[in-house]
Amino acid sequence: MKLTGKVAVVTGGATGIGRVIALKLADRGAAIMIADINEEAAAVTAAEIEEISGRSATFTTDVTDVETCRELAAATVDTLGPADFLINNAGIAGAPGWQERSFSTEEDWKRTYQVNVIGMSNVTSAFRPQMTERRSGRIVNIASIAGREGRPAIPHYSASKAAVISLTQATALELARFNITVNAICPGLLWTPMWEQVGDRYARDNPAYKGMTARQVFDAMIEERIPMKKEQTPEDVADTVAFFISDDAKNITGQALNVDGGFFMR
Amino acid sequence: MDFEGKTAIVTGAARGIGRGIALELARRGSNVIIADIDEEPAREVVAEIQAGGTGANYCETDVTQQWSTDDMVEAALEGYGQLDVLVNNAGVGGAPGFATRKTPNIDDWQATFDVNVYGIVNGIQSVEKYMTDRGYGKIVNIASVAGRLGRPGFASYGASKAAAINVSQAWAFKLAPHGINVNAVCPGLIWTPLWQSIGEWRSSMDEQHAGMTPRQVFERAVSDAVPLGREQTPEDVGNAVAFLASDRARSITGQALNVDGGIRMN
Ligand SMILES: NC(=O)c1ccc[n+]([C@@H]2O[C@H](COP(=O)([O-])OP(=O)(O)OC[C@H]3O[C@@H](n4cnc5c(N)ncnc54)[C@H](O)[C@@H]3O)[C@@H](O)[C@H]2O)c1
Ligand SMILES: NC(=O)c1ccc[n+]([C@@H]2O[C@H](COP(=O)([O-])OP(=O)(O)OC[C@H]3O[C@@H](n4cnc5c(N)ncnc54)[C@H](O)[C@@H]3O)[C@@H](O)[C@H]2O)c1
Repeated sequence: MKLTGKVAVVTGGATGIGRVIALKLADRGAAIMIADINEEAAAVTAAEIEEISGRSATFTTDVTDVETCRELAAATVDTLGPADFLINNAGIAGAPGWQERSFSTEEDWKRTYQVNVIGMSNVTSAFRPQMTERRSGRIVNIASIAGREGRPAIPHYSASKAAVISLTQATALELARFNITVNAICPGLLWTPMWEQVGDRYARDNPAYKGMTARQVFDAMIEERIPMKKEQTPEDVADTVAFFISDDAKNITGQALNVDGGFFMR
Repeated sequence: MDFEGKTAIVTGAARGIGRGIALELARRGSNVIIADIDEEPAREVVAEIQAGGTGANYCETDVTQQWSTDDMVEAALEGYGQLDVLVNNAGVGGAPGFATRKTPNIDDWQATFDVNVYGIVNGIQSVEKYMTDRGYGKIVNIASVAGRLGRPGFASYGASKAAAINVSQAWAFKLAPHGINVNAVCPGLIWTPLWQSIGEWRSSMDEQHAGMTPRQVFERAVSDAVPLGREQTPEDVGNAVAFLASDRARSITGQALNVDGGIRMN
């Protein structure tokens, strides 16, 4: 579907999965607002988008700050127009230094919940008026298969992603009467800087992966757990985002779709 | 277009949702085999697709018979030299006359399992060797939101649809290493001849709906159950099938996607 004339906001759109989502939507013609805490990387991605769709903007945003989120929503209207699509992708795996720790600390729990869950709610609330007023809008939340089942590896992260799925359902119910759909995507195993750190942690703490490099841990997990025997890519996630925001998905809401090569089937 | 030069089989495509799926795949460039027991309306769908410029053939098929689904696959390969997509959509609400019974009888249990479950198994068994040898294939099974949660009434139908989801997972797992994706779509409330029968059943069996026309029963169900407040359409299901059967969903397998306006959230 062509997205010319549409406006998409991507939180955490400066790097990783969010960047690829932003580029995919720009490629279909959408104007993109990159809302990221990393100002420098956001500017680089925005410049890349300019070359594709010609329209982008950045707004340095910490999603945990309610006031900044409101300013982001206002800045989006001023620079690009009201948002048609909101992609809540910003996320972290723990408080700074989490990858060096073998156990979750209170700081890990707090910071992760603050960014992944409360941050998502902050941004959604900030964009709510411009979507409800026009009685249209599409919201896609990036959860994770980690949210599908409790696992001991990084419990604070898994719990935050389970909360994202729950928040998606609540928001979907709340906004349905305004013709706004809200869905979640649960990506599986993607080789990103985040996973590099997860891999290091496994190699250190889990006897089954002792002494492996992060990439070897990653490959072993694909072999053990992914029925398709292939890693997933940011492109896979971006293609699914593009589906959820299209007219083709206008009657789909409140769903969480695993993009995980069959890791979890529910 | 996602399906240019590709060939799809859609079972139960003579009318209702199956017709919608066939038309959506054809609109995206696919040749389509219309596999149904009911010849006359099936031929109309064939003509409609041919008028749009892609290939279409009728293949008389009873999905409850393995020899018949074998023939259906052969028809696709003879006609077009390849088969890329199988959509197992044929389904029944019960044995003939089910709408006149208060609760399902043994024939209803048998009929729903024969068509809604075994029909899917037959279809998959007829294509799996071909698709495995080729290392490519997309299978989408039409289950139902009724399969997401057991409820009294026509429990046989719900049970058969829960089984359809389970069967999709089983073959997703089996076929994943061979480059074959198997997913299910769970439609919500769609006005088709099947729903007409359900409406008749409710207005004659259930006091709350006494004296209502089937369409009125349907509209009440929509307003009671659908958060988005509107009925779903065969095109909606066709669009979701077209996504799951495309290479854009290459990393999605074993999933059941509700196309139901938010009735159930999974
Ligand atoms: N990589 C994986 O395998 C994987 C798997 C499942 C889910 N996810 C999820 O996908 C999303 C993106 O992950 P990624 O791998 O691309 O990670 P990443 O670290 O590469 O990117 C995250 C982006 O979010 C930004 N960000 C972080 N905190 C922020 C804040 N407070 N406010 C605004 N922006 C902030 C970062 O600056 C960064 O640009 C995350 O929600 C993550 O949990 C990733
Ligand atoms: N209508 C809804 O609201 C709804 C909701 C959820 C799921 N579904 C499912 O969607 C599918 C299509 O339903 P519909 O509403 O279009 O029903 P429908 O009765 O309008 O159409 C079903 C088609 O399947 C064909 N068929 C029946 N038995 C067959 C057999 N043994 N072999 C080959 N073809 C056969 C029929 O001839 C008909 O063309 C079914 O699996 C149904 O259970 C429907």
